[in-house]
Amino acid sequence: MNVDDPAMLDVIRRCMVARIATLSRNGRPSINPLYFVFVPGHIWLGTVEWTLAARNVKADPRVSVLFEVERDRSPHRILRISGRAIVRTDPKGQRSYNLRVARKYVLTPGGIRHYLAHLRQLKLRRHYAAQNVSTGQPCVIEVTPLHAEFLGDEQLG
Amino acid sequence: MHIQEGAFMKRVTRNIDPSSARDLLERVPRACLCFAYDHWPQAQPIVLVWHDGRYLVGLLEEADHQPDSNQEVILLIDEGVHYFDLRALYIRGQVKQASAPPEAPAADCTWLEVVPLKTVAWDYGTLREVRDER
Repeated sequence: MNVDDPAMLDVIRRCMVARIATLSRNGRPSINPLYFVFVPGHIWLGTVEWTLAARNVKADPRVSVLFEVERDRSPHRILRISGRAIVRTDPKGQRSYNLRVARKYVLTPGGIRHYLAHLRQLKLRRHYAAQNVSTGQPCVIEVTPLHAEFLGDEQLG
Repeated sequence: MHIQEGAFMKRVTRNIDPSSARDLLERVPRACLCFAYDHWPQAQPIVLVWHDGRYLVGLLEEADHQPDSNQEVILLIDEGVHYFDLRALYIRGQVKQASAPPEAPAADCTWLEVVPLKTVAWDYGTLREVRDER
């Protein structure tokens, strides 16, 4: 199925956390839940260069990504995309990703309420982010879908 | 900045004791299994039943790919959308065949047990400073 299919785009737009499966250079599996945004033709997932997800993509570009819409009883709510990925560290791509992520996760009524409720923890979050960046720069895993399919979500629901 | 040998630095961690995330095994907000199949990474949504401390994984029989016995897999159970709500249990282990647990849902599944080799857990809601010896 094509990723431009409206039902698939609907799941991608409503899903909030994607899980990206990767393989290491030695073929060992790994999977990580990550924030993501959809841009025409690609899925962008945000992480830091030192993470297993980013290192694995550099070693082997084949990925599988699961999208699941929670608390949804519609017939199609779990989508899996297989594709090839690259790790982008260019400032333009990073800025574009950051803006899109802020719009999706922060600048929404739910996002604003969440951060207001955790004001006291924001300093720790900043320290945690700075600590991560000190060991590797932020990056975007750019996935180009090759194949997409809905999975047996009714039975799993 | 000069750091004396043996001095303690502080670092911020999201990691928690996996036993603190046991509720994820009881509620199972989101769960999936990851493994290699024909040199491709596979991510399969699963039914997870935590029974007598065993991780029993139901893969839909219609699932196109399934791991072989003793194959290395990752079992991921996670939840949350907003930053400080994100929590997860990440279990690296091996699979072996298993029979359906008594509390198995009605779906037609092939049942596997994940025998854990390494378990880590995180909870962004508990970000905190810890001492880090250099």
